[in-house]
Formats: sequence, structure tokens, C-alpha cells
Amino acid sequence: MAILEGKKAIIIGDRDGIPGPAIEACLQSAGAEVVFSSTECFV
Amino acid sequence: MDLENQKRVKEIADQFGPENVIVVLGAAEGEAAGLAAETVTAGDPTYAGPLAGVSLGLLVYHICEPEIKEEVDAGIYDEQVSMMEMVLDVDDIIAEMTAIREQYTKY
Amino acid sequence: MNNSVLKGTGYVLVHVPGMLMHHGTTQTTERSVNPDSDYLKELPGHIRSYEDCLAYPPNQTYIGNLSIEALSAIEEPWFDKKVETPSRFGPFGEVMPEDEFAVLMQICDAFDLVHLDRGFVRNVKPKLEAHPLITASMHALIKEGQDSELIRKQVEREHAQPIIVGDQLVGYVKRAHDVDVNLSAHVIFENLVSKASEVLTILHLLKQSGLDPADVDYVIDCSEEACGDMNQRGGGNFAKAAAEIAGLLNATGSDTRAFCAGPAHAVVEAASLVKSGAFKNVIVAGGGCTAKLGMNGKDHVRKGLPILEDCLGGFAALISENDGINPEINLDIIGRHTVGTGSSPQAVIESLVTNPLTAAGMKITDVDKYSPEMQNPDITKPAGAGDVPEANYKMIAALGVKLGQLERAELPAFVKKHGLRGFAPTQGHIPSGVPYLGFARESMLAGRTENAMIIGKGSLFLGRMTNQFDGISFFMQKNTRKESPSAVAAPALITDLPVIGVAVPDSESGTEMIRSAVDSARKKGYQAFLIEGDDCLDRMEEMLKSGEIDAAVAAHYAFPVGVATVGRIQTPALGREMFLATTTGTSATDRTEAMVRNAIAGIIAAKTCGIAEPTVGIANVEGGRQCGRILQTLSEKGYSIRFAESERADGGVLMRGNDLLRGSADVMVMDTLTGNLMMKMLSAFTTGGGIESVGYGYGPGIGERYDKRILIVSRASGAAVIANAVDYAAQTVKGDLLTIARQEFIKANKAGLQTLIDEVKQRSQKAAVPKTAAPPKETCTEEIHGIEVTELDEAVEALWSEGIYAESGMGCTGPVLMLNHARIEQATRILRDQGYVR
Repeated sequence: MAILEGKKAIIIGDRDGIPGPAIEACLQSAGAEVVFSSTECFV
Repeated sequence: MDLENQKRVKEIADQFGPENVIVVLGAAEGEAAGLAAETVTAGDPTYAGPLAGVSLGLLVYHICEPEIKEEVDAGIYDEQVSMMEMVLDVDDIIAEMTAIREQYTKY
Repeated sequence: MNNSVLKGTGYVLVHVPGMLMHHGTTQTTERSVNPDSDYLKELPGHIRSYEDCLAYPPNQTYIGNLSIEALSAIEEPWFDKKVETPSRFGPFGEVMPEDEFAVLMQICDAFDLVHLDRGFVRNVKPKLEAHPLITASMHALIKEGQDSELIRKQVEREHAQPIIVGDQLVGYVKRAHDVDVNLSAHVIFENLVSKASEVLTILHLLKQSGLDPADVDYVIDCSEEACGDMNQRGGGNFAKAAAEIAGLLNATGSDTRAFCAGPAHAVVEAASLVKSGAFKNVIVAGGGCTAKLGMNGKDHVRKGLPILEDCLGGFAALISENDGINPEINLDIIGRHTVGTGSSPQAVIESLVTNPLTAAGMKITDVDKYSPEMQNPDITKPAGAGDVPEANYKMIAALGVKLGQLERAELPAFVKKHGLRGFAPTQGHIPSGVPYLGFARESMLAGRTENAMIIGKGSLFLGRMTNQFDGISFFMQKNTRKESPSAVAAPALITDLPVIGVAVPDSESGTEMIRSAVDSARKKGYQAFLIEGDDCLDRMEEMLKSGEIDAAVAAHYAFPVGVATVGRIQTPALGREMFLATTTGTSATDRTEAMVRNAIAGIIAAKTCGIAEPTVGIANVEGGRQCGRILQTLSEKGYSIRFAESERADGGVLMRGNDLLRGSADVMVMDTLTGNLMMKMLSAFTTGGGIESVGYGYGPGIGERYDKRILIVSRASGAAVIANAVDYAAQTVKGDLLTIARQEFIKANKAGLQTLIDEVKQRSQKAAVPKTAAPPKETCTEEIHGIEVTELDEAVEALWSEGIYAESGMGCTGPVLMLNHARIEQATRILRDQGYVR
């Protein structure tokens, strides 16, 4: 069963890992609905 | 996790129902990924934000985990994430995330 | 068109545990959300002392005392390691303690908003007055202070922000408006901290670059604060506010904002302003940020570490017209993250690193060093952000693998070779690319590094105006002007055929003899000409300044203290070439310091004349042994010196009279008066003490910050010596005396020159002379002779305390005191009364 399809996705990206918009593009291609996307910055 | 982000996670879980929500992380290392995952499942371990003492038990993955990678369009994944796969310690991230999911995820 | 150059940098840290506890947002947020939290209770136990903060290895690296290589050799983590002999001041700046900084904030407050405790001011003011860079006009701004009761009332009842030093309430910053939040005490506090630390950094930059403050044209502030009121919240302008306090009278400026990428944007702007010809000298500067203090404190406390984010950071760089020496900012290679780039990490690195390199026909391996975000991993790793610089290097390498420029197996080797360990505090804009500029400049000047790419990145999305990421990168390279004759018409000519002016007033052999000397130099192929007239020395200086001549041969010319000349002779009988260090001028007023500096000057002169590793001997005169010991230590600590051996049976580095005649060392080190004596004897022995007929004359003036090529001959120098002096002068141009001098002093300073000298001085100066402030500057056209060199500075201060402006200098017959002609009678009387002259 697909994990992402049809799910409401929350993205907590990281400026020094994978930033929010990059994850957003990935999840949309898998059929998830992105309801919130943010990028954290520790530095 | 940032206090504002904790607030939004809580609101979204209330609005759509926790069983319909998935959290996907982009943290730079295993420990940080684990802390964020713990926050959206067991509650804020630092007891600072709106999720302190709130166990949402949400489904949570890191974008580099194989389960997620498998479902994402390969071309887009390559363009957006593949380079960072070489940079991050993916094995450590997977280990941390798996441990948190096994312990706290309810859905 | 010529690229601009990086002429200097400034790096400052301010240790502020009081601000960390009371103004860092992690702590203030916790205090409002969770006032009884364990974190707040444990916090005080994790605060470092000033001494610990100073000895913390990355901090010593930030101010230039510990090289990045030496830091990398220390096993991580670093928080439990200490540098053995930490120093507050370094080649790039300093680590200032919080008490002095509180007074500096008050100095920088132009609206009567900062008030300090009366007793606190009384204690701390002398410290700032003793600070080598805080100017007299800044001292004058220190206010007396208020009673502690009033201060308490302001903080408790009037919304003032407390200034706390060592647990004591010592002052406050009050709000500048009752309603406008943009002028609240909190915002004013943050902004004044940024301004004050920026001022301090600019002062260090000026000192290091030797630039006259009046020559700065423009300042670009690149911090992350905003100043303004409710009608123009980010109105500005920190740059001009800081320039005012730093005394940059001819500068204007503006603020550039781009989150952490701000400094990289600002350097590109500054380089463009200079290259376009709009301005000659542009300073880029950014002060520190209170909000980020202790940002990751919770993680540090949780892991039992001291709170490592206890310092404000300051950064400054001077971008100037191409001088043919300093490293260039090459504007042909600029990486930019554009609106269309997107935010995937590979797109970001492509836009900032590989795209600009590919466009310039280069591969990632063609860049010697990359300086991305240089955050100290000691701070970020425990906070879950990993090793930020290392992650950046891995990203660059990984992209190189994707582009086929690198094998995957070469990835770790690439990171090691082209990367640097992070050492900068997490003060937002401070660590982003620019912390390496100081080391890069030194390394390129010394020829160890060819080029570097500086990468600034910024998280624009934190401002909630856009989801865009941002970044800009620029390329720094060794000065190329000499290697590309097409760049400008003049330099190629200068390098091949230096133009030498000869200015010898009052020669004992008459003008005709000088003329024939110049003719004979011309016949040897030099472009030499005579500068005639009573004002020939003034005109010579003008010609040097305008570039009309590249070097000058002069007699009767006074150097400032700190500069001494290195003579060059051929020994009698054996004809060995030997450098006498030194023969005129004063490299320092302390005898031992002077001899040590003479040795370095001698090495510089010998290297300029093509001797790669000159042997150094020390004349057996008073102070010789002590000088020898210091040079030995310097050599052991990294300033490698090849010592000569006396040719007498018992050997040793101390040279006897026989060795002087035999030329047992390439460089003979001695005090200047002895050197002068030797020079005259070895030049005039063939004429029985008449005119000086052999050798190259008294040589070029060399000093740590001296930037002219002026060589000395005496009024008894004959035609052959003057012709040889022209040859020696040409050699200072071809051999690039000024660059060699700069490099040698940088190396010697790195090996601890100043510390060694200070130790000696402390021993010799039993009581420190109280400092008197100089009265307003006057034109100095007259000289007073006959003052003992050791008393010269005292004599200057004696005149200052009587309101007479005077400067010390060195004439060819000994020390001189220079002053305005209208003051000469009064000054002579004062000096006679006080026993300085007869």
C-alpha cells in the first residue's frame, strides 16, 4: 500500500539537509497533498 | 522543532485527523531527524513548544528513506535529493527514524 | 580593466555572557514561555569565563592567532581544549571582554540612550583609554555615569533593557520612543551592539591595512539588523553611523541586506564600485548580533557542554584599487542563485559553484580552497545541524562526481584538500564565506594559495516574504597584474625598467659629481634622473606618491620611527657582498627590539637582492646576545632563520670584527649607530676616510608598515656609490621589496614576534610612561636635533602636554623631533628646561 498517495503531507525541511521546496516537489510527484511546508535553520 | 512549526503540526492533525497526515523531514543528520520525529509522535522532548506532552503519534519519514524514495518520481528525486544522499549519513538517519516509528507511531 | 584587491580584513569577537543570558532569543523566549524551566536553572552553570573563551581554539583562529591548519590538528571536540598561550589581540583583531564593550556601546550612542553606573565607568574607563585602537575623540565621548538607584528604577519601571556584566546591573539602554516598537529599548539595544562591534572591527581593519581613515570613500554594512522608526522600519544606515565613530570623515555608505549571504553580496558590490572607478577604498563591515547568542544553548546544556555561542562576531574587509600586490577579486567569476534556480541542494551548488567555474573554463579541482559557510562544528554538531562546512564540501564534491569531474572514490580526498575546518561563531552573516578572507589574503600574499572561492548563502524564507533561498559567490586570486602586461600599459615598463629619482641636497662633492653618478647609472641601463633644487626631497616624495618614479635615492632624508635602512657593501680584500642591518633610521626605540627588527629588515633586503636563504650573523655588541636568543626562538616557532657561524675558532652566531671584514654572514645585524659606523668605514677605507667610494650606500628604508622605496646615501657618498645605489634601488623594484617585506613581517608575527618583543620590553621598561594625548596636528617643517633616541618619545609627549604638536623621526645624523616652525622657540625652551637638549 502506498504511504504517500492521498495523504495530507507536512514538510519540515532543513536548510542544511533537504530544504522544504525540494521535498515538496518529490511528494507531489507521489500523489500526496502538501498542506504545510517549512524549512528550519539552525545556523 | 521551531515553536511555530509545532503549532502548525498540531492544527493540521486536529483539522484533518492524525490518521490522514504524514510528516516528511529533511534533517541533516540522524539525531536531529530523530528529535523532530519524536516531537510529532511522542511529543516535544524539550518541553518548550505546543507539542510538549501531546502525543500525536503521526506517521513520519525522512525524505531519504527507501519507502519514500520508492514512491517519488525517479527523475524528480534525482534532481532534488540525490546529491544530498551522497552527503548525508542515510544509514544513521534510517536507524533513528525506524526506532522512533516502531516506538511511537500510532498510524 | 583592473580588478580590485582585498587590502585588509578585521575580525573581532566580544565575549558577552551577560547579553547571552538576558538578550539571546532562545533565553528570552524560554523566560516568557517557560520561566521555571530546568534549562534556565542550569544555564548559569554552563557559562564560560573570559579566559576560557579566549583560550578556546576556534576563537584564536578567528582573530588570526592560530592557523586553520593548526586548529585542524587539534582533535575534536574543541570545547574542552585550550590554546596554551592565548592572546587577546591577533593579526586580524581581538576578543574584547564585556565590561569594555559596555563602555564602547555608550561611546557609540548618539542619542543619550545608554547610561552606565558611575563606579563601573570609573573602573572601566582606564581600560578603554589603554586600548591601542580606541581614539582620543572616542575617549572624549565617555560620560561620567549615573547612580545605581536610578539605573535600577529605569530597568524596573521604565522598560529599559539592562546591561549586565558579571551578574551586576551596570547600566541600561532606554527606549527612544514611548509607542514606536521600532525604537523600543530592545531594538535600540540590539542595534547599538551591532554598531559598536562594527566600529571596533573597522578600527582593527584600519590598523591592519595601514590606511588613513580619511582615505575611505564608502562603507557597506552587511549585518542582519534593521534601524529605523515606525514610518521607515528599515531606513538605515548602520554603515554611516559606524563610519562616523570610526572617524572616516570622507566616507559615506549604505546597508546591504541578504540574511547570511549579506557579506558576500557586499564584497561583490564593493569590488564593483572600485573596479568601476567610482571609489578607491570601500570597506565592507558587519557587527554582531545579540539575538543569536546561545541560540543552540538548550542542546549544549543537554549535552553537558559550555554554552559556546557566547560571543558577538564582527567582520570587516577593505576593497581597494589594484596595487599590484594584494589578491584580486575577479569579477569575471561570480556565482549567483537566481529566482529561477530553485532550492534543491544540487541546484544551489550548481548555481554558486559549478556554473560560474564552467563558464570560466574551470573545473572544481582548479580552485585551491572553497570557503562556504564556516560555522564552527563544535557549535552546530551537538545542535543537530552537523558539520556545515564539511557538508558543503561534500556537496561540491558530489556535484563534481555527477558532472564527471571527480571519481566517487576521490570524494573524501577532495574534501580534505579543498576544504577548511569551520571556526566561526554562529552569528548569522558572520560565518558565511568571509571568515576565510584574512587567511586567504595572507596565504596568497605568501604564494601558498593561488585562488579561492568564497560562497555566501542566505535563508531568505525566514523573513516570510518569499520561499526563495539565496546565495552569491566570488572568486579571489593572487594578484595577476605583473603576469599580464596587457592589463595596463605602465606596470610592464616599470617592472622591466624601474624609474629612479636621485635627490641629494648639499652633497659635499657638489652637484656635478651627482650628475656624473646619474649618468653612469644611465650608461648601465637604468632610467635614473636627478631631482634638483632646495625642495628636491619634497618633490621626490610627490613623485613617489604619483608613481612618476618607482624608487628614490636620497640624502638627508628623515624616516619615521619604525623604519631603518639596510646598507650593502663589498668586504675589503675578499669582495664578499654583505648587508649591514641597519645603517640609518630607527626600527624601534628599544635597543633589543630594534636589533631584532633590524635582523628581519636585513633578511628582507637580502631576499630582495636574490639571496633566497641569507645567513644571519649578529655583531658582538651590547644587546647582541639577547637579540640572538629572540631570533633563535622566532626561528624555532616558525620564522625560519639560517644562522651564520663565526669564522673565529670558537664559532657561534655572534660576529667579531674579523667576521665583519671577512663577510662571514650575508646579513650582519647590529644597532643602527654601529651599523652607520661600519658602513662609513667599509665605504671610505680606500680614500683614507675621504669620500665613500665603494659599496651600494646605506640602502632602502624598511619597516613593518612602510610602503615606499627610498634608499639613503650620505653627503660624503661618491659617484660610484651613488651609481651603485641606483642599481640597489632598481633591485628593490624588480625584487619586489614591499611584498617581500610584508610577507616576512607576516611570517615573523605569526611566529610570535610581538609577544617576544613585549616580553623584552616589559623587562627593560620598569615604569610605563603615562600617555598624553596629542594636541591637534600641525604641519611639521622644522627639526630639533640632539635628543637621545631613548628619550625621543618622552620629549614628544613633553611638548604635547604643553599643547605643542610634535612628531618623532630619524634624520641621518640621529633622532629628530619635527614640529611647526612657529613653535620652534617655545619648544626648544621647554626641551632645554626639562633637560632633553642642551
